[in-house]
Amino acid sequence: MALSGLVKRFGEKVAVDRLDLVVPTGSFYGLVGPNGAGKTTTLSMATGLLRPDAGTATIHGVDVWAHPVEAKAMIGNLADGVKLFDRLTGEQLVTYTGMMFGLSRDEIGQRTADLLRIMDLGEAAGTPVVDYSAGMTKKIALACALVHAPRLLVLDEPFESVDPVSAANIEDILRGYTQGGGTVIVSSHSMDLVQRMCDHVAVIGAGRLLAAGTVDEVRGGESLQDRFVELVGGRHHTEGPEWLRRS
Amino acid sequence: MVATLLRIRFRILGNTLARSPWQLVGFIITAFWALGVLFMAAVGLFFAGAAGADVTRYAVVAGGAILTLGWIIGPVFVAGIDTTLDPAKLATFPLTTGRMMIAIAIAGLTGIPGLASLIGGLATFTAWWRWPLAAVAAVVCVPLGVAICVVASRTVASLASGLGGRRRTQETVGLIAFVVILFAGPIFLGATQLFRTGVESGVQFLAILDGLSWTPLAAAWAVPGDLAAGSPVTALFKLLIAAATLAGLWLLWSRSLAAGLASPPQTSARRVQSGSLGWFGRLPTGPVGATWARSLTYWLRDARYLQQLLLAPLVPVFVLFYSGGDLTSPFFAGSAIGSAFFVGVAPYTIISYDGTAFAGILQTGIRGRADRVGRTLAAASVAVPLVLLVAVVTVGISGRWEVLPAVLGASFGVLLTAYGVCAVSSALLVIPVAAAGDSPFKRVPGATFTMGLVGIGLWLVAGLLAAPEIVFAVLAIALGDPLWSWLAVIVGIVLGAVLCVVGVIVGGRVFDRTAPSLLSRLKSYKNA
Repeated sequence: MALSGLVKRFGEKVAVDRLDLVVPTGSFYGLVGPNGAGKTTTLSMATGLLRPDAGTATIHGVDVWAHPVEAKAMIGNLADGVKLFDRLTGEQLVTYTGMMFGLSRDEIGQRTADLLRIMDLGEAAGTPVVDYSAGMTKKIALACALVHAPRLLVLDEPFESVDPVSAANIEDILRGYTQGGGTVIVSSHSMDLVQRMCDHVAVIGAGRLLAAGTVDEVRGGESLQDRFVELVGGRHHTEGPEWLRRS
Repeated sequence: MVATLLRIRFRILGNTLARSPWQLVGFIITAFWALGVLFMAAVGLFFAGAAGADVTRYAVVAGGAILTLGWIIGPVFVAGIDTTLDPAKLATFPLTTGRMMIAIAIAGLTGIPGLASLIGGLATFTAWWRWPLAAVAAVVCVPLGVAICVVASRTVASLASGLGGRRRTQETVGLIAFVVILFAGPIFLGATQLFRTGVESGVQFLAILDGLSWTPLAAAWAVPGDLAAGSPVTALFKLLIAAATLAGLWLLWSRSLAAGLASPPQTSARRVQSGSLGWFGRLPTGPVGATWARSLTYWLRDARYLQQLLLAPLVPVFVLFYSGGDLTSPFFAGSAIGSAFFVGVAPYTIISYDGTAFAGILQTGIRGRADRVGRTLAAASVAVPLVLLVAVVTVGISGRWEVLPAVLGASFGVLLTAYGVCAVSSALLVIPVAAAGDSPFKRVPGATFTMGLVGIGLWLVAGLLAAPEIVFAVLAIALGDPLWSWLAVIVGIVLGAVLCVVGVIVGGRVFDRTAPSLLSRLKSYKNA
């Protein structure tokens, strides 16, 4: 995936400011940045959900905004902060997504069963998604992102509120996926997770790219956490106000 | 704490009014309207008092019953439930349920309807001063009556908005609401009929009021009147009924709040067997089939969609009401055309109901045309049988079977035309709507006056485009000539089909261009 010169303004505020980023095929790419840095905005523009004011996004050489249908067929997207069609049961939702991509009925049945098993959602297959917990909702959304076997996975905060066991299972799936030639882009606030899972990382702050490259290049001997704070700034060293300390 | 909450309430009201001038205008108009009504009520009561204790008694009982009923029905069906002081949001503050309820009740009392009711209640003194005993009782009973209004309103709202804890409660209240709406017309019809005959015979109507004065609706308002008329024993009993009503409502409200706050709604699941795919198993795979199945599932399961379908059986009922209950009138025979129209234009901003789940559609890269076709098929899958049913039943009841072809032709023509218009309009427009699972009666933040105007504009467009078949059907019904009937059928189906196809093609193109901006707008709405 290649982003070049992406710009997005919301009124006066520039959310993403001439951002260039190249994600190599087969990489496990982490995207980190403080709240409001423009991660979600960038990923929305890269996946065809938000029209950029300027710049292009291409996926395996296909321009996302010029040929959205071809590009989107290659993307599996787990968007953050959007709802699902939560009146459907988990099984119906995954089937629906498979149908939208025009898979055959046999394929859909097979893949849905596999995905529900992998995500430990077999028990809840017949429960409406609205009754799922936050973690289960994430998992069913991830299953929907995987059902059409995309070449690129774009995951916005995939591990938020997912329990450690499921997270480890999902991590295994994603690792196997990249070894099979798939590309994963993960945005996250958890530096430890990015340092452990990803081979590449990009740091975004105030809509600009602050650093990008392999994880080792970016952290340069420090922990990713320290390097991130150094790049982004804004760390306070205080013990908090007096009244908040009880003893 | 209660005072703080009230300050917050008025600050929110102030901020809302300061931000949108139209709401300020609406606020002022409502205030003046309320003042006007109050003035008339006071004058009326003054003269009623002059006419004697009995007249005053019946007038106050009737007024009180209507007022209480209005408080119960109004917020749920007309104005939307006021969520300024939302108990769910207050739950984190160190505040007992009792205090929270006092704060919410006083907040309700200090709104325009609350103040108007209180002043209206005080206006009864313009009549009661003639009977000192009644005036003394009114000092207690007027606040009691108004308190019953406010608390009853909040109790119903709390139950209706699902704070009763279980989703089943919420769905039951929703269902009852639907049934009430469905039969509101006939009930009203019956009531006015009763009123008419009652006024003619006199006695019967007063008997009804006498009965009403024993019910929680009017008991509090009946006490001073009974005293004035010299029957202290019944007055005492009615006072007890009123007090018990208030206590019972308070308890019910408190329990529903406690249950709702301790266990948020959406805990009980309506599960199905795994492997049961519903419509997804029956319709063909591919974007069109997927959209069709998904949309159809929502049409049949989501209260917000069902609410729109309810208009279909309601139109004949209203026609019947306005034609004075005449089952053989030509208007009633043709009322299915109206049903078709309202069901047809219902999905004019159907993407609004997707909310941000629309992102899931957008990221599949679906072609606009496939989306339009799928949604239109889903809407038609529900609407066609419904309109057919309404047409056959209304024509059957009117006994004019010879106009059935004309009615059906025009109905389906209107339906197809409306779908063509909606296929374009829903690719251009999204408006704030109640979130999925919320009460469809909840007040929606962000809806504006202009959005309502655009909706009415689209109705006009759809009506004009479908005008030929409507005119032919009207001629067929009026003149009884089969020629007009068959013209209505042919023009309706052909013209409707053409407009529907054109709408889908144009709408599909528009959708391809606008879909991302629709998503951005949906994301900017608070609860989508």
